[in-house]
Amino acid sequence: MSDELIHIESPFQFSESNRQEVDELIQRYPVKEAAMLPVLHIAQKQAGYITPGVMKHVAELLEVSVMKVKDVVTFYPMFFEEPVGKYVIRVCYTLPCALRDCKLVLDHLKEKLGTGVASETDLAKGTTDDGKFTVLKSECLASCDVAPVMMVNDDLYKNLTPEKVDEILGGLT
Amino acid sequence: MIQERRILYEHLDVPGMNTFDVFRQYEGYKRFEKALEEYQPDEIADMVMKSGLKGRGGAGFSTGLKWSFVPRDIEPRYLCCNADESEPGTFSNRYVLEKNPHLLIEGILICCYAMGIHTTYIYIRGEFTLGKQMLDQAISEAYEQGYLGKNILGKGFDLDVYSHPGAGAYICGEETGLIESLEGKRGQPRNKPPFPAVSGVFNKPTVVQNVETLCNLPFIVDKGVEWYTSMGPTYGDTRFDPPQADPNTGTKLYCISGDVEKPGVYELDLGLTCEELIEVAGGLRGDRVKAVIPGGSSAPILTHYELDTRLDFTSLTLAKSMLGSGGIIVMNDTRNIVDCLLNIMKFYAHESCGQCTPCRWGTPWVRDIVQRIADGEGRKSTITRPKFGVTENGRWGDTGETEEIYEDLDLLESVANNIANVDTMTWNTICVFGIAVSWPAVSYMRKFRPEFEACIREGKLVTLSIDEATVPPEENYAYQQRIIPRVLET
Repeated sequence: MSDELIHIESPFQFSESNRQEVDELIQRYPVKEAAMLPVLHIAQKQAGYITPGVMKHVAELLEVSVMKVKDVVTFYPMFFEEPVGKYVIRVCYTLPCALRDCKLVLDHLKEKLGTGVASETDLAKGTTDDGKFTVLKSECLASCDVAPVMMVNDDLYKNLTPEKVDEILGGLT
Repeated sequence: MIQERRILYEHLDVPGMNTFDVFRQYEGYKRFEKALEEYQPDEIADMVMKSGLKGRGGAGFSTGLKWSFVPRDIEPRYLCCNADESEPGTFSNRYVLEKNPHLLIEGILICCYAMGIHTTYIYIRGEFTLGKQMLDQAISEAYEQGYLGKNILGKGFDLDVYSHPGAGAYICGEETGLIESLEGKRGQPRNKPPFPAVSGVFNKPTVVQNVETLCNLPFIVDKGVEWYTSMGPTYGDTRFDPPQADPNTGTKLYCISGDVEKPGVYELDLGLTCEELIEVAGGLRGDRVKAVIPGGSSAPILTHYELDTRLDFTSLTLAKSMLGSGGIIVMNDTRNIVDCLLNIMKFYAHESCGQCTPCRWGTPWVRDIVQRIADGEGRKSTITRPKFGVTENGRWGDTGETEEIYEDLDLLESVANNIANVDTMTWNTICVFGIAVSWPAVSYMRKFRPEFEACIREGKLVTLSIDEATVPPEENYAYQQRIIPRVLET
């Protein structure tokens, strides 16, 4: 109904291999809508973030309204509606990591990259000017025995110290 | 010194355990074959009931009992495996998924065989990228080897297993939240009843089980009920005469973190005490234990007076706390309880799903109050009030003394208790997230009240010594109410 009201600057299409994966995913569920989260993950990987075009395309594929897709995207912290850096850094900030000085790690990151900490409503605040890094505070990453930890995109880094953070950042190009 | 008893984690560190071939060398899938060849589905359900296995995800509900609620005449039925491990302090499932995913698949096979289920979804946390990769690999290997798919091992039993990634929402660990999320919606929990066992995913009967619970099944089938019940204490439920057995059987993957020398996952029989566990984990880092969170961040805190509490489902419930997911966080004497509570409340304020008003507005409110106290701007009244308590004649009344009014502490308790009342155990929200917020808020404040008062009085974050900060047992209501269960003599 209100789908026409959403302004779409750039339409989105899945790449050949992703489209195949998506089709296979949809087969797994008795209701097409259930494939929403895995499909959005694939879309975000391809497009970088969830654009209005992505939402429209996913809605068409899963036979739901665009609003329903938007509803889901806004609920889950792992989906971004704005551009993010090439490397998304999530620093765990929950109690077990806090007891092991995660604050030092985050402060060091902020100082080194010269940026703030992004919030879900303001991702630009934690993104470096060159668009390379986005720094986020994260909730428990379920690695409390090797605290403090952070994730850079899909990789988990354990037992962090400021020196170790330097080493990790140095390895990212 | 207490020894670890590794059952689920026994071969965890064997190189290549995530592959089918190595898993097969260590009895892999033999237990499922045994179940398929030697037992009828109902016999397995019966074994699980008799084993006293309790769900390891948090609620500690009897697995056998849960299975008995599922109607057998409605098709299809589903199994949802809860691998959305997001309770702060818990990290045992991650290692199973990353290092031994075939064990989980074997547990799923046994559960599905017993329940006549033909489709399983494993809801895995979005952040577990390595875990998902390993699990997907294991699933495709199991399909190749004929342990998943149609007509498994030529016995006419079909099963499809799919992994389903979440996207970073804590509330999706709640079973109905998980189901909503699996259906492709916001992960907002549903009203119960109907319970998922009757109407769950796609409105069909659904069994929701934690990874650890399912991993216990192969061993129950393999070694029998008697062996399983020999581990851990069985208490007598004294509400019945003669006392009924309240089993806390099996091992638990205790995840210990915070101020201990060797944090990590320790697999031990249920029923050891806090002190013993800290000792197993290499001892304390620091001089003295100030506080212990016994079951993930939502569990009420234990003070150093309560370290003799046994860490099992029954003992902790009777000590007005809970074992939950078994995430134990230890804090030493340098820690400030107000600061710790602030960290936890920030977590809950962020993770409230926004469905119920008391929780949506209450959690940020509680966070703001604690923030204010931590910033040294906590409110205290200039007037005093008469102190009520037990008077000289042994009755409740005006003691003749006066007490100071810490408005923010009264407000904190009032707001938290209006999300969920910790004394009556009733909550004004749809799911138990409400109680997960007010339990820590109220218990930290009641058990470490002097530290909260000091922060307000002095206008800054003050860390008191342990003896000053902790409310003594004779004034601690929760401590006096605690019951130590008796082990049932057989």
